[in-house]
Amino acid sequence: MYEAAIRKPLVTGDKSISDVSNDICRPIENKPTKMWWLGFTISFICLTIFVISIGWTVWEGIGTWGVNKTVMWGWDITNFVFWVGIGHAGTLISAILLLFRQKWRMSINRSAEAMTIFAVICAAMFPLFHMGRVWLGYWPLPLPNAYGSLWVNFNSPLLWDVFAISTYFSVSLLFWYLGLIPDIATVRDRATSKMRKFWYGFFSMGWNGSARNWHRYEIVALILAGVSTPLVLSVHTIVSMDFATSVEPGWHTTIFPPYFVAGAIFSGFGMVLTLLVIARSVLNLQDYITIGHLEAMTKVVMLTGSMVGLAYLTEFFIAAYSGVEYEQYAFLNRAFGPYSWAYWTMMSCNLFAPQVFWFKWARTTPWFIFIMSIIVNIGMWFERFVIIVTSLHRDYLTSSWAMYSATIVEVAIFVGTMGLFFTCFFLFSKFLPVINMAEVKSIIKSRE
Amino acid sequence: MGHHYITEVKNEKFVFTKRSRMIVGGVFILGLILTFIGMGQVKNQDHPADAEHTALVVDAPQHEGGAAAAEEATDAGHGEEHAEHSTGMKRIWANFLLNSYYFMLFAVGALFFMAVNYAANAGWATLLKRIMEAMSSYLPIGIITIGIVIYFGRDYLYHWIEYLEKGLKPEDTGFDKILDDKDWFLNKGWFLFGVPAIMLVWWLFRFILGKLSTNEDANGGTTYFYKSIRFSAAFIVIFAFSFSILSWLVMMSIDPHWYSTIYSVYNFAVAFVTTLSVIGLFTLWLKSKGYMEIVSDEVIHDIGKFMFAFSIFWGYIFISQFLLIWYANIPEEVVYFDARLNPHYKMLFRTNILMCFFAPFLILMMRNAKRNPKVMLIAALIILCGHWLDLYLMIMPGVLHDESGFGLLEFGMTIAFAGFFIYWVLHALSRKNLYAINHPYILESVNHDVGV
Repeated sequence: MYEAAIRKPLVTGDKSISDVSNDICRPIENKPTKMWWLGFTISFICLTIFVISIGWTVWEGIGTWGVNKTVMWGWDITNFVFWVGIGHAGTLISAILLLFRQKWRMSINRSAEAMTIFAVICAAMFPLFHMGRVWLGYWPLPLPNAYGSLWVNFNSPLLWDVFAISTYFSVSLLFWYLGLIPDIATVRDRATSKMRKFWYGFFSMGWNGSARNWHRYEIVALILAGVSTPLVLSVHTIVSMDFATSVEPGWHTTIFPPYFVAGAIFSGFGMVLTLLVIARSVLNLQDYITIGHLEAMTKVVMLTGSMVGLAYLTEFFIAAYSGVEYEQYAFLNRAFGPYSWAYWTMMSCNLFAPQVFWFKWARTTPWFIFIMSIIVNIGMWFERFVIIVTSLHRDYLTSSWAMYSATIVEVAIFVGTMGLFFTCFFLFSKFLPVINMAEVKSIIKSRE
Repeated sequence: MGHHYITEVKNEKFVFTKRSRMIVGGVFILGLILTFIGMGQVKNQDHPADAEHTALVVDAPQHEGGAAAAEEATDAGHGEEHAEHSTGMKRIWANFLLNSYYFMLFAVGALFFMAVNYAANAGWATLLKRIMEAMSSYLPIGIITIGIVIYFGRDYLYHWIEYLEKGLKPEDTGFDKILDDKDWFLNKGWFLFGVPAIMLVWWLFRFILGKLSTNEDANGGTTYFYKSIRFSAAFIVIFAFSFSILSWLVMMSIDPHWYSTIYSVYNFAVAFVTTLSVIGLFTLWLKSKGYMEIVSDEVIHDIGKFMFAFSIFWGYIFISQFLLIWYANIPEEVVYFDARLNPHYKMLFRTNILMCFFAPFLILMMRNAKRNPKVMLIAALIILCGHWLDLYLMIMPGVLHDESGFGLLEFGMTIAFAGFFIYWVLHALSRKNLYAINHPYILESVNHDVGV
């Protein structure tokens, strides 16, 4: 495709095709570094915390959490929405940016897709264990059973969630694995030990790089991209409907679907930046994940952050405009009530902080981007907390008003899912190529 | 890789021939004539449906604070007002608002799309930049027509203005707590100064971007390009906020008791998809006249993709609003759809969804459809008619209740506006070269390839 002279190269450092293979396979083929072991150990400890705290919850029951009759959703659903949101960047990068022909996505789509899968796994934990009796976790599935022909409530958005998220997970996993096949084959072909040859050979499904292979591969990739595109919108739309179909003040608002999607992309890019700013320096990938990539991502963060901010202000405005006292109170209570600290944390992290990316320096300084990405993650966690807790704790019936604070078990479960997420990510970065070699090879300058 | 790229663009100049001027001007005049005939037909339109109307209002849910929704029914001055603002006059003004808003959306939509292309560093649509510029040059006319609506037509269209002028106290009959509480926003200050101010700011950005474009043509270099990116980014932010406010003031306040947070996004969806369709139509027309040979199927294909994608986006926003309101079934909110799903509007409501979502979705799905000028033409026309109807359904039930109709007035006024818009845009197009030849991405657009 023709490119204007003013466009900058996407991969720097005059890489040849073999450089790409060598650079990206290095972490897989060598012993892990000390940094890797350090990170992995910390993550693994957190994962252990997850297992213990979840075990305790299942053993003792949901009573170990701080949720009560009024605030029946607390950290659990906050975390659920938080993790589902994180997952969105992967699909956006591989499907929507593909449609928009944004070639810079090629260096980051692999890790973003991996992140999606791990995040969705983390997310699924919360509704599953919130059921209390996790061994009945198959009940939301529309299986033939003794309670009627199909004993699930199709009118419930919670059930829509089950379908939306399981579809999202399966398609993301397929898409991710499909993209990996040619790269796994590359690792297989370079393997020196029998074990490696066997396992990478097994997972590369006999890929031989023939024209026929590529032809099939490209058709399937395009179809999966087409299937994933509506998923980017549908998953968080349906998550938003868990709230918006209700008549709860602060929840029932028509802007929720697009606003949740924008927020999800915002938080997803926040997490991608957190991971990639570290990964590029630990794994020495600065020529592949360049400052240009970081800059493009910060622009997406700024855009989606502003969209979320516009939605906050729209909600606030319409609450005032509506003339509905309950709605007005819900928003005043958010901003000036007992949870106002959470509200203002959310506002400053999501609406105000990303505005620094108007300055080029902020967009091109990795350590600063890293800090900002953490701020975005914090802000988006608080957004869900604000929506869930402030709306529930004071609604129509004043006699039921209550406060909510998390117990140590809930905190431990959240920290634990962080452990689950990062453990998976560290294992991924050790055993699989974090950058799509096959695609990156198609955009390096030396090819032309 | 053995691909031959075009490395030079020969500029063209569009000539707005006398014949074309006659035809487009003729359409405008025909529209005017039809409008006047139509006005004559409806001017004395009585309101025979008064009984029905009252029934509808009684059906409408009671707001807290009592009198709210039934305000008109219980209003003592009900009869006199109707005599003052006959249904016919309301219908004329409602149509004028519809068309003023509709065509203004193309102008600001084109400006927005141009800004998006700059901010996103997109190159593919560079060849069409002059079409976008010409379309956005209609903005001052949009300001004037909407200005006429809010200064002269407001009493006919926005019953909250009439209400505020009465200055009722809580103890008076007909007092409406909800409207009274809204006077911090629904007041003359915001309405009469806010709306024009917002649009003047847009026009200011149009002016600056236009100036940069002219200078780029004359002097070349990338300075103007980078400056344009900055102004475009600023415009996008300002547009997002100001367009929301404008849509609340001009459109949502027609049903002043009702509210929906997604309303501004809905209006944006309408603006974007119709703008892309109009850009597509102008491009196809110019190509059929022998201009823009260099604009390949690839570029047309991408416009088709945008029309397809944003028709789906509109469907998504539509269902977000409809489903959530329908599901929660809160009286204050369902009243909006209640008024649109009654026997008078039900068929139009369904047609609207068919034309704005299902038709473009099915027609434009195939790759070849987006590369076929005839199919594109049909799809664009369906989208444009569909969204005209969309606006019709946003305005008429609130202003005319069940007394709206389709007649020479509706048809003629739209034709007149369309004729004027096309004349204005083609005239603007003929004043500059057809291509922004010094734009750094012009060759990307020339050699564009959609890939798959």
